[in-house]
Amino acid sequence: MDKDTIIEVKNLKTFFYTNQRCNKAINGVSFSVKRGKTLCIVGESGCGKSVTASSIMGLLPKLSRIEEGEINYYSEKHGKLRIDQLEQNGPTMRTIRGGEIAMIFQDPMTALNPVFTVGGQIGENLKYHTKMTARKIRKKTVDLLSDMGIPAPEQRAKEYPHQFSGGMRQRAMIAMAMSCHPRVLIADEPTTALDVTIQAQIFELMETLKKDYGTAIMLITHDMGVVTELADDVAVMYMGNIVESGTVEDVLRKPAHPYTRALLSSIPVLGKGKQQELEPIKGSTPDPYDRPVGCQFQPRCDFATDKCGTAPVEESCGDTHSVMCWHYREVMNHEGK
Amino acid sequence: MLSYTIRRLMILVPMLIIISFFIYGGLELMPGDAVSYMINPEAAAELSPEKLDALRDSLGLNDPFIVRYAIWFKGVLKGDFGYSLSSGVPIRDIVFDRLPATLELSFIALILSSLFGSLLGFLSAIRKGSIADHSLTVIGMIGVSIPQFFFGLVAILIFALKLHWLPVGGRLMPEYVTYWDRFPHLVMPSLVLAATMTAGVMRYSRSSMLDSLNKDYIKTARSKGLPEWRVNLVHGFRVALTPVVVLVGFRLPTLIGGAVVIEQIFQWPGIGNEFITAVRGQNFPLVMMIALFSVTAVLIASFLVDLLTAVLDPRVKLS
Repeated sequence: MDKDTIIEVKNLKTFFYTNQRCNKAINGVSFSVKRGKTLCIVGESGCGKSVTASSIMGLLPKLSRIEEGEINYYSEKHGKLRIDQLEQNGPTMRTIRGGEIAMIFQDPMTALNPVFTVGGQIGENLKYHTKMTARKIRKKTVDLLSDMGIPAPEQRAKEYPHQFSGGMRQRAMIAMAMSCHPRVLIADEPTTALDVTIQAQIFELMETLKKDYGTAIMLITHDMGVVTELADDVAVMYMGNIVESGTVEDVLRKPAHPYTRALLSSIPVLGKGKQQELEPIKGSTPDPYDRPVGCQFQPRCDFATDKCGTAPVEESCGDTHSVMCWHYREVMNHEGK
Repeated sequence: MLSYTIRRLMILVPMLIIISFFIYGGLELMPGDAVSYMINPEAAAELSPEKLDALRDSLGLNDPFIVRYAIWFKGVLKGDFGYSLSSGVPIRDIVFDRLPATLELSFIALILSSLFGSLLGFLSAIRKGSIADHSLTVIGMIGVSIPQFFFGLVAILIFALKLHWLPVGGRLMPEYVTYWDRFPHLVMPSLVLAATMTAGVMRYSRSSMLDSLNKDYIKTARSKGLPEWRVNLVHGFRVALTPVVVLVGFRLPTLIGGAVVIEQIFQWPGIGNEFITAVRGQNFPLVMMIALFSVTAVLIASFLVDLLTAVLDPRVKLS
């Protein structure tokens, strides 16, 4: 057990129930979030990235349930806590949420409440997690906004979200999330709704926070470029499983899972010109209610054999690198395909 | 804000002039005129057409439409609303006599229905899918679909005729009795009116609250670790409130214009009741004035609603 581990997820299974059908949104996921490190969770839409985040935050919708597995949170105050066993809106979970584990969302345009001032919404976090007086809260709010690189923070704190641009709102969201110096920041596609220059600024900001406060960051994205830039560790998700995980070097340089490999070769490379051939992943994501037998990627996989009819188990393919594929050796050695 | 208010009030003037023109013109299209109302048909049949025409001439009824309109409107501006054709009483006196009764009835109903309607609506949204929510939805459906007159008559049957708890209808004149003597007369009409309105407000505020609770900022609020009551009542409620306030605001004028049905059933001597009598009796001047008052109320209410929305929602800018 690493002393830097803050959150440890073990064989987590979160299922959704609708119309008597069960969607196994997360089907046995394990990973850990470490102090001062960025863990990127990559995968296409609907693969369970956001559900993983919601499970940790205790923000799962009513129709879903954690069926199996553990989410351990190593708190400074309380020691080891089982988040999956805490009441979602109970007092302990509420102190952790926002105070020790904070989250920023995909769309800053809708994530802020339109009828309250930005300063007020940031201050609300401080009000519930610290014992600061109202005046101190106001001062701290202004400080936070100025830390996030927002000009004229005193003026800005009194303004409403609609008076902020998209990038500014995301900064305000980060200020809100960082207000109580959380130990973990979960960012669910924080820049998808922003343009590229603003994206870079936001990531730079997150990097600084990681350095200054040792905040662990769990970044959910589907942008491989972002992964290269920011990640220390990467977990690739497909249909509710982590199919490959390891350090960013491991996963990007020596992809061991056919899905990771396919993802990487589907990215256009800047400078190669418009003649370059992109290789899309063939087929489409299976219906979550009608899953393939065995390996979930098998119907779309170039390496598939009869063996893939049984679900692969997680295997180690390096010191820090693990993969869920029967044919990982072939994938790793298969050059230039 | 101030300049906006002034500008809006200034727009009211031309709007009222145009609307009053249409009201006057609309009534002009009705068959018959003041003379045919003043003289009973048998007497009119005996009078020679020349005499009738002379009578019309003396009353100015043969003047061109525009002239008559101008004379009427000049009077209105001076506060001379004309006389009721049926009783000869100045219309101003009638209106000031009837208005308090209507206001008393409608404001109680408006306040009760806004309070309970929004409260129940928000509660059922927060507890969506619970037994309480389902039963409130059913009650709301019933409340919206049952016509007021039926509801009123059933109430009279039960509480007045069978149980003898409350008077059948009418209103005691405030000059002669204490408020507590008058109060029982007010209970049934105002509660019946409030009940039907509550159903509407409730359904509306439920959907408004549900809408608000599904927004991303609710998830943000939860992710901050706020207690559930604060997530619902501060973040959810505050946004859901604006549309409900707009709905209630737009109800103001209809109440002043008279809760016609309720006033009829309970023989409540309000504007609505007076309006019906005036229309039936071709009492043109009175109909025109009541219509003009209602229109003014609508215009003022929509102006108030705009101001309130701007106060409640920072995204709305008045300019």
